[in-house]
Amino acid sequence: MVIDGTNADDLADHRPGAQAAREHGVRSPLADLGFTKTDIRERSRALGIPTWSQPSSPCLSSRLPYGTSVTPQRLQQVEVAERALRALGIGGDLRVRYHDDLGRVELSSAELVRWMDPAQFVRLRDAVLSAGFARVALDLRGFRSGSLNVLHGVTAA
Amino acid sequence: MSIRRETPGGEPALEGVLAERGLVVRVERRMGLAVLVADAGTVAKLGDPELRRTALALAREHGFSHVAIELRAD
Repeated sequence: MVIDGTNADDLADHRPGAQAAREHGVRSPLADLGFTKTDIRERSRALGIPTWSQPSSPCLSSRLPYGTSVTPQRLQQVEVAERALRALGIGGDLRVRYHDDLGRVELSSAELVRWMDPAQFVRLRDAVLSAGFARVALDLRGFRSGSLNVLHGVTAA
Repeated sequence: MSIRRETPGGEPALEGVLAERGLVVRVERRMGLAVLVADAGTVAKLGDPELRRTALALAREHGFSHVAIELRAD
């Protein structure tokens, strides 16, 4: 049997990967038992599990828009860009969304303002360019879960 | 599931209303994403939360769900 970490909150989101998993018999015990992400964090903290407050990190393919082939090269490009941004000391939620030649960076609201300073954004831009993107843009709203679902009109803004 | 299709237009109008608020940008549409192309000074201006909220609201009014500003080498 294959099980995954899908939780009850995930069921309200549009997740094609979750549907594919169900169709292939993957079970989701946390979701089946009604555990939300908050529940899991609280139980993890109580049990002393060090990852209780770790930012969520969904599959890299979630950074690619629908209709864009998921290839090892593109996934690696996103991974390298996000790792380069972490190396700059950026904390909290962070995503590099793939838009062909352009990497769109979503940061937590706590980080966003700091990186709009011209003295700082050059470092951010160069980090993403180093992953092979030709252009870099900083999202003005910052991180939002399911961002590409909104972009495609699958879920509301 | 329905996927929103790209709709033309909106870019010049958004450029106009942003310019009225002191944000001189060129707008590129990528589906629901507005990519603002501007100089470094405009990026710094958008560090102001109120101005950023205004830009986001105006973009929504012009049919964009996302707004990002390009970080360019001037």
